[in-house]
Amino acid sequence: MGIYFLRRVLATIPVMAVVALFVFSLLYIAPGDPAAVIAGDQASPEQIAHIRASLGLDRPFIVRFGDWLWHIVHGDLGTSIFTNLPVSHMIAQRIEPTLSLMILTLVVSLVIAIPMGVVAAWKQGKWQDRLIMVFAVLGFSTPVFVIGYVLAFVFALQLRWLPVQGFVPIEQGFWPFLRTLILPAFTLGGIYIALIARITRASMLDVLSQDYVRTARAKGLGERPVLFVHALKNAAVPIVTVVGLGVALLIGGAVVTESVFAIPGLGRLTVDAILRRDYPVIQGVVLLFSFVYVLVNLAIDLLYTVFDPRIRY
Amino acid sequence: MTAPVFIAAPPLPEIVPQRPRRGKFARFVLQHPTIFAGLVLIGVMLLIALCAPFLGTVDPTALAPALRLRPPSAAYWFGTDMLGRDVYSRVLYGTRVSLTVGFAVALLAACAGLAIGLVAGFVRWSDAIIMRIMDGLMSIPSILLAIALMALTRGSVRNVVIAITISEIPRVARLIRGVVLSLREQPYIEAAIACGARTPRLILRHILPNTLAPLSVQATYICASAMITEAILSFIGAGTPPTVPSWGNIMAEGRALWQIKPSIVFFPAIFLLLTVLGVNLLGDGLRDALDPRRALRL
Amino acid sequence: MRRRDFLATSLAAATSLAAPAIARGAEARVLRFVPQANLPNLDPVWGTQYVVRNASLLVFDTLFGIDASLTPHPQMCEGSETSDDGLVWRFRLRPGLKFHDGTQVLARDAVASLGRWMARDTMGQLIRARLDAMTASDDRAFEIRLKAPFPKLLFALAKGNPNLPAIMPERIAQTDPFKQISDIIGSGPMTFQKDEWVPGSRAVFARFDGYAPRNEPGNWMAGGKRIHFERIEWQIIPDPATAAAALQSGEVDWWETPLPDLVPLLRQSEDVRVDIADPLGNVGILRMNHLYPPFNDVRLRRALQMVANQPDYMRAIVGNDDALWKTMPSFITPGTPLYTEAGGEALSGKRDFAGAKKLLVEAGYGGEKVVMLVATDLIITKGQGDVSADVMAKAGFNVDYVATDWGTVGARRAKKDPPSQGGWNIFHTWLAGVDCINPAPNIAIHTTGPKAWFGWPDNPAIEAMIGDWYAAPDLASEKQQIEKINRASMEFVTFIPTGFFYGYQAWRREVGGIVKAPFPVFWDVKKA
Repeated sequence: MGIYFLRRVLATIPVMAVVALFVFSLLYIAPGDPAAVIAGDQASPEQIAHIRASLGLDRPFIVRFGDWLWHIVHGDLGTSIFTNLPVSHMIAQRIEPTLSLMILTLVVSLVIAIPMGVVAAWKQGKWQDRLIMVFAVLGFSTPVFVIGYVLAFVFALQLRWLPVQGFVPIEQGFWPFLRTLILPAFTLGGIYIALIARITRASMLDVLSQDYVRTARAKGLGERPVLFVHALKNAAVPIVTVVGLGVALLIGGAVVTESVFAIPGLGRLTVDAILRRDYPVIQGVVLLFSFVYVLVNLAIDLLYTVFDPRIRY
Repeated sequence: MTAPVFIAAPPLPEIVPQRPRRGKFARFVLQHPTIFAGLVLIGVMLLIALCAPFLGTVDPTALAPALRLRPPSAAYWFGTDMLGRDVYSRVLYGTRVSLTVGFAVALLAACAGLAIGLVAGFVRWSDAIIMRIMDGLMSIPSILLAIALMALTRGSVRNVVIAITISEIPRVARLIRGVVLSLREQPYIEAAIACGARTPRLILRHILPNTLAPLSVQATYICASAMITEAILSFIGAGTPPTVPSWGNIMAEGRALWQIKPSIVFFPAIFLLLTVLGVNLLGDGLRDALDPRRALRL
Repeated sequence: MRRRDFLATSLAAATSLAAPAIARGAEARVLRFVPQANLPNLDPVWGTQYVVRNASLLVFDTLFGIDASLTPHPQMCEGSETSDDGLVWRFRLRPGLKFHDGTQVLARDAVASLGRWMARDTMGQLIRARLDAMTASDDRAFEIRLKAPFPKLLFALAKGNPNLPAIMPERIAQTDPFKQISDIIGSGPMTFQKDEWVPGSRAVFARFDGYAPRNEPGNWMAGGKRIHFERIEWQIIPDPATAAAALQSGEVDWWETPLPDLVPLLRQSEDVRVDIADPLGNVGILRMNHLYPPFNDVRLRRALQMVANQPDYMRAIVGNDDALWKTMPSFITPGTPLYTEAGGEALSGKRDFAGAKKLLVEAGYGGEKVVMLVATDLIITKGQGDVSADVMAKAGFNVDYVATDWGTVGARRAKKDPPSQGGWNIFHTWLAGVDCINPAPNIAIHTTGPKAWFGWPDNPAIEAMIGDWYAAPDLASEKQQIEKINRASMEFVTFIPTGFFYGYQAWRREVGGIVKAPFPVFWDVKKA
């Protein structure tokens, strides 16, 4: 198992290398000359050439890539063209809202979606199943900002239960913190809930058709223990896999959700950066999100081997 | 992601799907209500897109600031927006943008993914390289990848199609490669190779037909996700230029007045929802019909 | 987040719920303000965006300041003396002025700051052209010696429009005027909390305890600037719907530029007050780049002038309320003494697409791309951009609509590169009406070529007329000069005014003391 662990961890290195290469190429071929940006509006061509040489921008691609990678490994993501602040600083300022939003969304989605999927599988073909599946398809088809505006309209403006916008750091109290995140979490959760409900139902159906479940039922165990203890446990692997893969959806959705609810997180940083073509920031955010995504899925893979001894490589 | 993620999934299909014969298409569709519903929705949208100029529309980009923010009425069925443009016409013409992007991305990603997948599956030495690149690209969340690519170019429908296509190719390539690898181990393929069948013929006769089912299911999902991605890109200002009446742009412009004129956001949202729903239903239906064993998968 | 921290903070939260009164007290000491746009930088001299000026007025102080009647009053200065020939001006700083780093404000800081300002500001450049010497005689006194009189000197030092003659420590003022300062230290009533600055999201100002306000009551930039808050938090909310909702629900206190379309909605709320922000209103501006084709050719500028329809622009900016805007075939703010419509037929006459097309042919326009920068995050700039794109397409121009944000337009419009290499052909903006009452504060009307405001119109004849206006002895001759300037500028199409419009501001009922002004006046504002 130790060797599998090692191999699996090592396998992420080429993946991250490809990501890094892609992200670096982004800046490399991006229009606009960083030297000219740094030199300012009044600089002469000679001054710009000088700055370009001092920044090493005249060196070959592969050398610059290595240099850039070296800086990344040391936590230096470059400097924003627009604000002149270090990108790592800008990301650090905005990571808390995004992380909080994603974790809350994850929790909310699992709590809602797994029972939905279990019930749908249990009542397969009945109206409960149909209803849940219709809901899931709708959740899959509704753009995230539409969910956001509908929720904000009903729960924030009409009912006034929750704030419309903003983010309160957790240091200022847990309840104020949670209040600002409830609507965004449900907005972002829409598509995720649909995804997890569908995979839960599918893998439950798979498991329920297998012999040992029939045996359990034959033993006279009640429906609930069968469903939630035996079947769900055995259906867990594909569910957890999809939960991991779905993090990509959460990241994409966060970009929109944060815009709708004016949450000062990484998603809004991305939107601002794209409008300004602030390449170092775009680079940093893409790199970070991809890294997180790879790590989450690596962790899930490694967990399998711990929890499910059948999986062997 | 790397291979082990998929290990728990059921094995890939070994069946050649029964291609519906002529005349039986109608029965096939009617036997599968999900496909029927999906096709109806897509058909209606397609009709709207094609016939947009004849459905009582006016120039969707013509400004008339003197007539701004009119409520829905006999003259302006969906009202007018903040620049006096006819929302009905804009939404109808927006159908064209959305369907163009959805279909183009599905087609391009399917073709490119098919080609890459076949190469990876047949040219052994290239497999590791290609799949590492695909894994890398797949570990960048697709909306972010599209955003990053859009940052490099100017907003236009063509560039949006290219950006979304690139972000969707890895999934198709991985799927096709999987099909190829599992087929290669089938006795009849091994027999064909042993008999000296040449690769092009092998691909044409035995491999391609077997990829059609999973590929078409995958393509419908790509189509749906491309339409949503396009709307999101336009909504955050990284998609089609604001001068193009795409649903994402209409919603982006209407969002400021969401509280007082929800209809400007509401109408394009409904159209987008129905179109994506239609494509998703078609995808679900196709998956169930073409590949019952995979019905359990997503 | 670690689990234990999480538990600890939630416990702390639970106990803090027991003391709502304390929390409410803290509420009243913080003012939450939604500015017109993101704060991209905080250099009062380098940045010409109004949002930069507004933040600068909190952090920096000025030697003089205008009041609501546009009269200059001493602010950091005790007063001034002028020699009889008007060539020597002596100033003395009032005692007890301190910078935010704790050092005393010295005369040489003022001299260095004015020097940097004169390199950038249009009025400053006029002074510099006449400048003989500017010297500090001791810690608190300095003098400006001119070669030719400049009667509007105090007006220049008191000006409230960008570029602001703000005073900063000498070491910072020595920064190249064409580069942004990185150390933000002024002597104004609030300090800028750089640690808490999240560009694109928030900017925080904290009260400067070392600030000694003047004894007079505050009046715009003059008088005592008394701040009644410990903190002023700027929350940048780019989406007007979100900002409106936040104001309605009390999550913010004051919204600088509510969308006019949303004002009826805000008025329905008992807790929100809405009023015109500035009685002198605003002037919409379509600015062309005079350096590059097609608009280096006056015929093509005229073609655009022939089709630009002010009512369309105004409705796109302020919405359905026709009381909020006026057409203005003029470069001068309507309703002010110098207002003239001389030569205005070019804008008020019938819009002539056939004539424009003919001019396009005549000028040999070959369909070159017109790079139009549109800040889609502000309704004023986006509305104008959309209208221009529409009429230009109809007239036969090939428009390249570059959607971006206001901060980027602010940076990119400064580039003199060809449009295809990161430059531009057109952008839209607005000037406060107070900055268009005459050519002195109006940065857009000057035609000094490379030294002019972005677009760099070059027309020595018009500049000479502006010089004559500066020298005009009385109102009647001033009017005569302004008429000439207006007519010539219309003919030259220095830029295209797109109309005159009022803006709103909106605030919560519990906030008192908000006044009408061309900029948000934070002093004397209180929260119940």
